[in-house]
Order: sequence, then structure tokens, then C-alpha cells
Amino acid sequence: MTTKQEELTTQIQEGVFQQSTGPIGWDGKTLKQMRKEIDEISKETGHYAGLKTLPFKESDPIRFEKIFSKLRGGVVHARETAKKVAASPIVEQEGELCFSLYTPDADSIVTSTGIIIHVGTMGAAIKYMIENDYEVNPGIADKDIFCNNDNHVGNVHTCDVHTLVPIFWEGELLGWVGGVTHVIDTGASSPGSMSVGPVNRYEDGYQVTCRKIGQNDVLSKDWLLESTRSVRAVKYWTLDEKTRVAGCHMIRDLVLDVIREEGPDVYKSFIREIIEDGRRGFVNQVKTMLVPGEYRGVSFVDVPFKDLPVHDYAKVNSIMHSPSKIKVHKDAKLEIDFEGTNRWGWHSFNATPVSITSGIWVMLSQTLAPNDRINDGAYYASEFGIPLGSWLNPDDLRSAHANTWHSLVAAWSPLWRGLSRSYFARGYLEEVNAGNAHTTNWLQGGGIGPDGELHAINSFECAASGVGASAVKDGISHSAALWNPEGDMGDMEIWEMLEPLVYLGRQILPGSGGAGKYRGGSGWQSLRLGWGTNDWTMFVAGSGHMATDCGLMGGYPGAAGYRYSALDTDLKERFAKQLPFPQGADVDPDNPKWDTVIDAKTIHRDRQTVSTEEMFKDYDVIMNYLRGGPGFGDALERDPKNVAEDINAGYVLPRYAEKVYGVAVKEGKYGEYTADEAKTIKIREQIRKDRAKRSIPAKEWMKQEKERILNKEASPQVQHMYAGSFALSEQFTDEFKGFWDLPKEWMVYEEDLDVPTYGAHINRFKENK
Amino acid sequence: MAKSQILAIDAGGTMTDTFIIDEKGEFVVGKAQTTPKDESIGLMESAKDALTYWDTTVEKEFPSLLAGVYSGTAMLNRLVSRVGQRVGLVLNKGMEDNHRMGRAVQSHLGYSYADRIHINTHHFDPPLVPRNLTVGITERVDMHGNMIIPIYEDEIRPAIQQLLDRDVEAIVISFLHSFKYPDHERKVRDIAKEMVKEAKKDIKVFASVDYYPVRKESHRTNTTIVEAYAAEPSRISLEQIGTKLKEVGSDFDLRIMASHGGTISIQANELARTCVSGPIGGMVGAKYLAESLGLPNVACSDIGGTSFDVGLITQGELAIDSSPDMARLVLSLPLVSMDTTGAGTGSYVRVDPNYGNLTLGPDSAGALVGVCNPEGGIETVTVSDCHVVLGLINPNNFIGGKIILSPEKAYEAVKTQIADPLGLSVEDAALGVTELLEAQLGNYLESMILGKGYSPAQYVCFSYGGGGPLHTAGYTKGLGFEDVLVPAWAAGFSAFGCGAADFEYRYDKTLDLNVAEKEDSEVILSTGKELQSAWDELKEKVAEEFDKNDHAEDSVRFRLFYRMQYQGQLNDLEIEAPFERFNGVEDWDVLVKTFEETYSRVYAKSALSPELGYSVTGAIVRGIVEVAKPKIPTEPLSGKTPPAEAFLGKRKVYWTDGWIDANIYEMEKMKAGNVVGAFSILESTATTLVVPTGFEAYLDENRIFHLKEL
Repeated sequence: MTTKQEELTTQIQEGVFQQSTGPIGWDGKTLKQMRKEIDEISKETGHYAGLKTLPFKESDPIRFEKIFSKLRGGVVHARETAKKVAASPIVEQEGELCFSLYTPDADSIVTSTGIIIHVGTMGAAIKYMIENDYEVNPGIADKDIFCNNDNHVGNVHTCDVHTLVPIFWEGELLGWVGGVTHVIDTGASSPGSMSVGPVNRYEDGYQVTCRKIGQNDVLSKDWLLESTRSVRAVKYWTLDEKTRVAGCHMIRDLVLDVIREEGPDVYKSFIREIIEDGRRGFVNQVKTMLVPGEYRGVSFVDVPFKDLPVHDYAKVNSIMHSPSKIKVHKDAKLEIDFEGTNRWGWHSFNATPVSITSGIWVMLSQTLAPNDRINDGAYYASEFGIPLGSWLNPDDLRSAHANTWHSLVAAWSPLWRGLSRSYFARGYLEEVNAGNAHTTNWLQGGGIGPDGELHAINSFECAASGVGASAVKDGISHSAALWNPEGDMGDMEIWEMLEPLVYLGRQILPGSGGAGKYRGGSGWQSLRLGWGTNDWTMFVAGSGHMATDCGLMGGYPGAAGYRYSALDTDLKERFAKQLPFPQGADVDPDNPKWDTVIDAKTIHRDRQTVSTEEMFKDYDVIMNYLRGGPGFGDALERDPKNVAEDINAGYVLPRYAEKVYGVAVKEGKYGEYTADEAKTIKIREQIRKDRAKRSIPAKEWMKQEKERILNKEASPQVQHMYAGSFALSEQFTDEFKGFWDLPKEWMVYEEDLDVPTYGAHINRFKENK
Repeated sequence: MAKSQILAIDAGGTMTDTFIIDEKGEFVVGKAQTTPKDESIGLMESAKDALTYWDTTVEKEFPSLLAGVYSGTAMLNRLVSRVGQRVGLVLNKGMEDNHRMGRAVQSHLGYSYADRIHINTHHFDPPLVPRNLTVGITERVDMHGNMIIPIYEDEIRPAIQQLLDRDVEAIVISFLHSFKYPDHERKVRDIAKEMVKEAKKDIKVFASVDYYPVRKESHRTNTTIVEAYAAEPSRISLEQIGTKLKEVGSDFDLRIMASHGGTISIQANELARTCVSGPIGGMVGAKYLAESLGLPNVACSDIGGTSFDVGLITQGELAIDSSPDMARLVLSLPLVSMDTTGAGTGSYVRVDPNYGNLTLGPDSAGALVGVCNPEGGIETVTVSDCHVVLGLINPNNFIGGKIILSPEKAYEAVKTQIADPLGLSVEDAALGVTELLEAQLGNYLESMILGKGYSPAQYVCFSYGGGGPLHTAGYTKGLGFEDVLVPAWAAGFSAFGCGAADFEYRYDKTLDLNVAEKEDSEVILSTGKELQSAWDELKEKVAEEFDKNDHAEDSVRFRLFYRMQYQGQLNDLEIEAPFERFNGVEDWDVLVKTFEETYSRVYAKSALSPELGYSVTGAIVRGIVEVAKPKIPTEPLSGKTPPAEAFLGKRKVYWTDGWIDANIYEMEKMKAGNVVGAFSILESTATTLVVPTGFEAYLDENRIFHLKEL
């Protein structure tokens, strides 16, 4: 009896399918066979491709390194050259593009700079094609072009569009090159690349599932027509695609050049060994930097959807729960487990497993392994626990993902803290990082652009958020984002070319960086005025009610978020009469000055930091708040001089010098502050005494908290969040109840909370019943 | 009889070098301590030193000089060490933080890849203007120059007064989109000037639009600040030099090397562009040499102790980067485009303890050479240590014997740090390092040429700089360059370049002229008119500059350039207009055609996007006046065999086939027409040319070696 696969192989060989290109793997194998073999042998031996030794590298390390440097240099260079084709500042200014080279069976070999989360996502797309026998139908031939952005086929979010090009040598597939750009609009129910508003897949934008879009290096007309009719801001879509195709072709030429020089067999050995080499290097890096053990952390981010105009099943105020455990094994295997993560929801903040397993490198390459050797080897050196049904792994094709970074940036923050504790223990104090800011706000919108065409915007100013403090210095201000260490806020004159919003302010926001012995990097605000709007809408997305990080070793978290906009204003008259109006930043939100110099029909000054499209006209204003990072260490240990300097530089408001830092300051002739060290000593002594007075033994505190848990005093959102975790994970429930010593019968069930449970599938309580 | 024709001055932080070139292209080099307070003193000492080689004096020689060019690092040092003038800055109210916030990119500019992604290493340098010397004035115009908010006149005087009260030494004004609507900046400028006068102070006022009327406020503001902060103080120093030169009887207008690859007068309006003169000297020299030799396309490569610099001359033109970065600041100066990678002869060589791979640089021992330098105190192996192990450099004749190197120390270090961890012999490890460096440099050179849409076969490669010729064969191997040239006088190449630079002004202006793919002739004509009026405006600006040195407008050769892109793109291409004046619709077609030819070469045909329409984003005028330039040396051809006195003997060298006997020659004693085969090493004081297996070198009548792959 023949198996289905054997039958298919026979059919391929006989050319049953018109499109079939036949088995294109090595030694006459199908790609599926190759994939299976690699998985099996890697798993069995613990070495990628079963490579217990690296014969090529060990016998000729120089030649090996020369090939690596040629490929790596070429991939980086292709990115630099191709990005100039793009029109989108997201790609061209912010560098949101990346190219990666793969084995025929979809393991990444080398990756360019840029959004390296896509090391794995494009690999996942290739794997999907392999699993679905693309060799048979639609066929994989030399000079074909494929496209994918399907969230459920391993993408991060809809706006990350992949171009995939196979590389052939004498009829054999020697690899793939993939290029990805963050496209400004992919036709979701609301404009912008990271929309709020879509709550299910069918509103989440135009999704292309590993589709063949071109042959002989030419894009098909039907593809060009359909795709450009499916998105807004067509110009950006088109030039982004040209950027990706141009880069992929440059890299394909480079690889063919290497194969010509070195021969196909050398190339084949090289690509296997470099991945195993990456795995070993990463293991050694873990051994050098970390201490074996378990590092647990948690973060939360709010999802305030109750009052948004979305489907009724999505109208819920909830919290996304992100507990995580980093386990460093004695053999340096790195395990990251997200057990306890709560249920996915009807919002665009869900994630896919590959955005975790691949996205983790965005973060680890900034701290644990900042080098150019990152490839799938590191993936083979680590293990992930991603519970099915959680927001990290929805069990429903309908889940939406457009703004997955809303939750990912929150989920990443505890991982920084976990690693930093380990660095601290090893004495790598400079490497400590108290965590990332909630690197938002995403200021988005759309309408009709200056050229009369449909337009969409997503300001990437949050690529320059505040960074967490280290154990030896303050976090750097307004400089980077979790997803892009090479951050930049761009020039205002460039943003104004693309957005019908002119600047009325760009200013550091005091207090936005978390206090501490070393302060978190400061955030800032932009204030924008509607100008040249046409059928325009705007919305925001960021954290609001909750701080998504929590500072490290006594440091404070970065400030939580809020939004500000004013609609139907009197600014036109104010400008004409040269009267004051809102400018700069909302420096002291507790005593807002802006509101005293503007009349508007509507002013939003609240915590609804996730909003849906709202009409926006000329002379309306909207604020973009780019968040600050968390602090490190007790604020009472901060050098008083630095506190005074922080006031002078606008990082801290004078009244918090004493309240938070225990520092007495006095103001000089030009409004500059100096610290009074003698007074400071006294104030700090007093604060320490007060702290001691307020404190109670931990056991006592736990007892009090336990009472509150038993009485279910937590807010409905908190209860809902935990109920979503309990329903998915017995292990988490047991740990939670064990920690608080709760009775067996205590439980919070989702269905008892008067919130919709529409789409909730996995439920161990139901299953147990 | 006096024979000096060209004087080139290279004033570094510690030493001032002078190069004096005679009518045959021969030159002498003098050195003296730099005298920062009055640079003319050091300069005269240095010139005196140089002329002792010709047994003559400054007084005798200087009256015969036809031209003199200065390049120096004083301005850059002032900038990097933040010891410039106390500048007050006027920005839009509400955006006063913008300058000190940087542009986040400035927190990782100039970093290696590893550090760029390593977030905890990032840092900002202090802003050139601190926040407390920055004031805001309310006004806003949009990108088209439409006024949104009128300037709030009541705010002007108090803001300026605040700066005057704080004793600023200069005032810079930069408003958003001022290049589209200059009136507001100029209004503030005029009021500020008035107030300065009233206060009886000597403070210069800089409006950004008067200096750099181009888009991107961070670049424009930084550059205007550099003008006030670092360049203006240099003006005095340059005037001192000018006066001193006249005093000793010279009769030429001193010029300064500028970032766009030309030289400008010390009276020029914009001096900030002379800040980066040093490193581009070689490129300018290469351009002049290429012109003289009739070579249109040249890839220039220069390896020094710390870096590898490459740049291209294409169709006789240097590529220009119009918004470069320098000293970790984004700027809007036109800068000769050069790519630099942190790999030089002093680069550290390591085996990564965790990944087990060889890494080169990006940090380097620089002038301390390596472990082989007993005086250097270096502990980490450098590329130079590998050269010593291989026998490529003579340990007793390094920089003319100024440093005696220790082969034993080099050997031991390469063994323990590189060879043993890699499981290679010491010699193979050293050779491997050299090969890897050369492969990386070769890849770099190749990808740069391919990235411009050309292939190495269309280029001649020039190699100069102290370390270049040692590796030239290695990094050009297999790339298929049309020819590979190493001037025997490579060591003085940068100074030669300064002396050879044109007297040239270049001014840029941002435009936004959009034209659809198929457009009415009316629109095209008005676009052409606007472009032409920008060129006219810039021509006038250039003519005014030349007028300061009494060059009449009709003696200036003007060249018109435009920047074009598809509508909506963020990167444009700079192209020379193939006509002298825009006359009609057919000229537009010529501009589009020229643009698309360039575009498809650079980005591949598939990236052509005429359906988006075109944007003319900038106008540029370059004006050139003829000046005296150094001669390229020539000498009669003699036979193929080098003269016996050039042969220094044999030395053991380790190469791919093991230890071999290499022929050692003294470069200076070789004659035009000589050919040497492998394995040869041609030594001179400042450089070493290696002719390895598979190569031969021919010295031509201009004393340029041609390195040929056999």
C-alpha cells in the first residue's frame, strides 16, 4: 500500500500536475522529505542537521568565515540599497525592513539588520508552502515570486508583507531569500498599519496566503491589480513591493555568485554548518552571561474596549496577562515558558506563536547576543512554552493581529528583568536593563491624501521611546524601541510631507521615565494640528490604565499613558489674533495648561488610550505621547545633583524631587535648580523612617491579600483576566492557589463574570464537567 | 631659482604638514608642531622644514607659488571636544527640545553593527546648544510655504533679549520649512541684528535659510549651528594664515578644502563645509589623476591604520551625499560620498570565545601598530602583527625604521590568541587573517560598485594610503577590475589631492516640483521656469562668492544639476542637466530620460515607477574657476628589469605554498618601465606594495604601478 505522500511523489514525478515542477530538493528529494529529515535528526542528536562536528569550519575556518562574511555583508548591503526605493518613511527612515536567507527547507542562515523578528516568520511561510506541497501545485520554479502576510501562517501582523524568492542551481533548490517590509496600510477595516477597530481576521486587512505572484521575475498583472485595489495608500504598497523584490533579487545574485565561486557542495555544507555554529555560539553565550535557574516575571496591559464602537462580543474592558518564566538549564538550554497567559480576545492585539519564538530574537540580540551570527541556530538552542488558546496562540482562525505589538511589548518587559537579574548576579552591571517602555503611542489615521488618493498614516515616532535604566547609568531618553534598537524619531519636515498634521510641539515629558537610583529614559510628546485634512480620521493606540513594566530592584515603572485631543477648536481665530494656544508638551498633566488656552467642542483627556477612528478636521489637535522607560534601584539612592539636573533638563518636575527622590532643591536666578545636600539627608532619613512605619511583615501582607482574593474584591477586569488564565492552565491555577494558599473550591469562572464568552473554546472546566 | 608652485597644508591636531610641489610634480614634505592659537606660526615652521630638502627658504620660494590649499582638523576638533562658541538658538516655540533630543539616530551613529543593536551601549553626545540657550518663537508654515500661524511679533524681542542676557557669542535661527518661506527667519534675524547693535555687542546672527535652504530640520539646524559654533572661530585663524602668506611675498588667495570636493576661499559665506576636508583629499587627488589619465570610472580605496575607505568616481564625477553625518551629527552639507568600514592594518583580531569565529575590528590599535611594537603596550593581536609573522613587513624598516618591531612578540601573540584556538599553525592563522581581511574589503568594494549599478569591469581601482598597497592584490583579486593602479607617490596622495582640487563653489536648494507621467505642457513649462529660476538664484550666489576673490562671473564655468525622484519617494538622485538653460518641453523629456537611465542602473529596471509621476526635489549649481594644479610626474621609460640598486635582497615570506623567498625592492629606486613578478615586496618609507603569487607589477612613466592579475 502506498501512503498519501508516496502517491503524491509519484504524481509529481509523472508530471500529473500541470504546474508541478517536480521534486526540487537535494538528491531528488521533495522539500517535505528534506524538512522531515532535518527535524528528525536535529531532534534526535541535539545538533542541527545532526552535525556533531563541523568538518568544514574546523578544517578550513578561514574559507568558512569568508563565505559567511560575503553572504552577511551582501544581505546587509542589499537592504541598504533596496530601501531607497521605498516611499514610506516607515521603511526608509525607520528601517522597518529585513532580508533573510534560508535553506531550501526554510531554516534561516543569515539575516540583515532591521526587524529581525522576521528571521522566523518568513521561514514559517516557506514551511507552510512545503507542507502544502507547493512543488506540485502551484509549482516552485526558478524566478518565481511568492507573497505572504497571513497572520495565521506565521506572520506577526498583517502589515508585515513578505516577498519570497527561490534560489535554484542547475534545477535544484539551494535556498530561499525573503524580504519583508512594514507596509503603511493593508486594507484593514480602519486605516493605518496597526489598526485598532478590527476585532476579527475579516477586518484585519488583506491577507495573502503564500501566493505565487510572479514568474520569470515579473509580477503578474492580476496580482498587481487585485493587491492595489485591496489596500489604501497604494503608492507605498507598490514601492514597498518593489523594494522587497529588488532586495531579494540582489541577494539571489549574491548567492549564485558564491555558489559559482565555491561550488554547490561547499555551499550546501556551509549552510548547514553555519546554523549549527549559530546554535553552539548561542549556547556558549548563555553559559557566559547567565546563571542557571528560573526567572519569573509578569506584565499586564489594558484593553479598554467596552465603550468602543465594535461588535457587541468585543465590547469588553479586559487585561492581557503575560506571566513568563525563563529557565536557564545547566546545559545552557534556554527555555521560555508563557504558561498562565490568558485567553485571546476580540481585538487586534493577539499574537501568533512564531511572533514569540522569532520575535524573542529582536530582544535577545539587543542584550544577550548582540552579534551578526543570529540565525535559526539560536532557535534550535531554545525551547518555548506557548499555551494554546492564549493570546499568544489563539485557537481560532478568526483572531485579529493588526496591532500585536500592543501586547508583545508588554510581554517582553519581564524578560529583560529576568535576564538582568542574571547579569546582575554575574556582575555584568552595564548589561542590566530595567525593561522596555510600552513603546507606543501609535498615532494613526487615514482619509484622502494630498494627491486625491486614499491615504493612511502611522507615525513611527515611538521608535524613539525611553529605554530602561541599567545598574550603572540612566536609561537613554527618546532613543529606541523594543522592536528597533536603531531607533529614530525622524525629522518633522519629513513627517509633515506625508501626514496632514503639522507640529505644534515636540518636547520631553517630565516624569515619563521611571524614577530610580538610575532613571528610566525619558519619553516625550508631539502635538499635531490638523492641516490639509480631507475626509480624515485619527485614532491612538498605547497603554493607558496600566504600567506595562515595573522597574527593577526598587526602580519605578515608566509613567502610564493617557490621550489628549481637541476637536472643533477655536485655533484659527487664536492664530489670527496672536493669542496663546497649546504648544510643546503637556508638561504637567495634573495642572494642564493646554486646556486653558483652547476652546473646543470635544476634548479627550482620559485613559482611553486605545481608540477607534474619529473624524478629524483642520484646526483639530491630537497629542502623540511616546512613553518613557523604567528605572533601576531605589530613588532615595540617586545622587541629589542628578535630581537637580533632571529638573533643569525637564526630565522631572520640581515637586517630585522631594516627594519621590527625597531631594531638597532651590531655584536660582534663571530658574535653574540646585540640590541642598544637607536638607536632603534629613528628608531621606525621614522617608526611610516613614517607609519602615508603613511596612508590615510579608506574611501578614499576604494574609490580608488572601482575604481580598477570597472575597473576590479584585476589579471585574482583573477577575476576568485571571479567569481566562485559569480556564486554560491547570498548572498556573495550581501555582496561583498554592502561592496564596487558597481552598480547593475557590475559583473564578469566566461565565460567572457577566462578560461575553463568545469564541472561548478551550476551557478545562467545561471539559472536566 | 625658485621652483615651488603649489603649497598644500594639512594642519592636524598635533602636527602641521606642508607639501610643496614643483613644476615637475615632485614634492617635499615638512613637519612642525601645530600652533593652535595662531596656526600661521606652525605653518611657516613646517614650510621652512620642507624647503630645507631643496636647500632653499620660504622667502625665496613663496613669491613663486601659484596656489595654496589648506586643510585642517581644528574645526572638527572644536566640534568633537565641544569647545566652540556659546551659541544661542531660536527655534519654533513648542519645539525648543528638538535640537537636544537629537534625532535618536545620533545616539548610535558611527557604531559597529554589534553596538548598533546593543542598546545599552547607545549614548547621546551633549547638544551643541544646551537647552537653556534655546528659545522659541511662535510661527508655523507648511511644507508648501503657506502660512498657518503668523509670527507672534511680541515674542521676538523678549526671546532674543533672553539670549543676549545670557552672553551668547552667536545666534542661530531655524524655523520649520523656512527654506519654503524665509520671511520669518529673516525678520527675526534683522531684529536680532538690530538688538545686537543696540547692545553694542559683536554677535553674528545666522538664519538657516541664508546658509542651507534645504529640507530636514535636524540636518539644517545642526549645520547652521556648526557654522556659528565651530566654523566662525576658524575664520580668524585662516585670515591670520592668509596675512602671513602675503607677508612673505606670496601672491595667491589661500583656499580651503571643502566637503564637496572643491576648494573655497577663506572669505566664503559657508565655512562649515571645510570641517571634513582631510579624508576626502585622496578622493579629490584620485579624481584629478583619473582626469589626467583619461579614466572615467575609478574605484578609490585607502587603507589606513583604523579604517578602509572606498569611494567611486563615475563618469569623472565624485558622488555627493547631501545629508551626511559627521562627528555623530546629521548634517546638510554636500559631502563627497565615501564608505568607511572599521578594518585597517591596526584592527584588532580576535577569536570570539563563544562562536569560535575570527573577528576583525571594529576597534583598532591605530598608530600603536600592534603587539609587535614593544613600545606600544598593545596586548591584542592586530592585522599588522600578522604581517610581521608572514614577513610582509620589514621589522627593522617600519616607517623608515622609526619603530623597531619584534617578530617574536607578534608570533607569540598570534599563536596564543588566534592560531591555537582555531587549530591552525601560526603562519596559517596569520595568512588566514590577511585573507579574511582582504576578502571582506573585496566584498565591500564589489558590493559598493554593484550597489551603484555598475560592475568592477567598468572601473579602474586606485589604491593608496599607508596600508593599501600591501593588500591591493588581495582585495582586488578576482573582481575583474579593468586595471589596478598604485601611485608610487601614494604616501603623499592626500596632500596631492588638496593641491589638485578645483576652486569650486557648490550651492543647493530644495524644491518640490511635481509633474505627472503625462502632463500638460503648461505645467511642464512652469516647472521648468521654476527650476531655472532656482538655478539662476544659485548662480548668483556662486558668482558673489567668486567676486570676493575678484573672479568675474564670465570667468566662472557653471554646471547645473538637479535632484529627481518618483513622487512620494524619500530618496532622490543627483544628476547633471545636459543643457545650459531650460528652454522648453523637450528639455523636460531630457531631464526625465536622464533620470530614468540613472535610476534603472542603480535600483534595477523593475523599480522604475513612471506611473507615480516625477518630483524635482532640488537644484544645484557648481561654479568652477581655473587654478594652478600640480603636475603628474613623468619620466622616460627604461627597461623591464629594475636597476640593481633597487634590489635590497631576499626575505622569507609565508604564503599559500609555505615559506618562500621574496624579492625585496626599494620603491623609490625603481625606474619607469620596470616589471616585477611574484613574489616581490616593494618598500618605501610610508608604504609597502606586495606583489603576491599570481600577480605582476609594472611601473609606468607617471610613476604609477599597474598591478596585474596573471
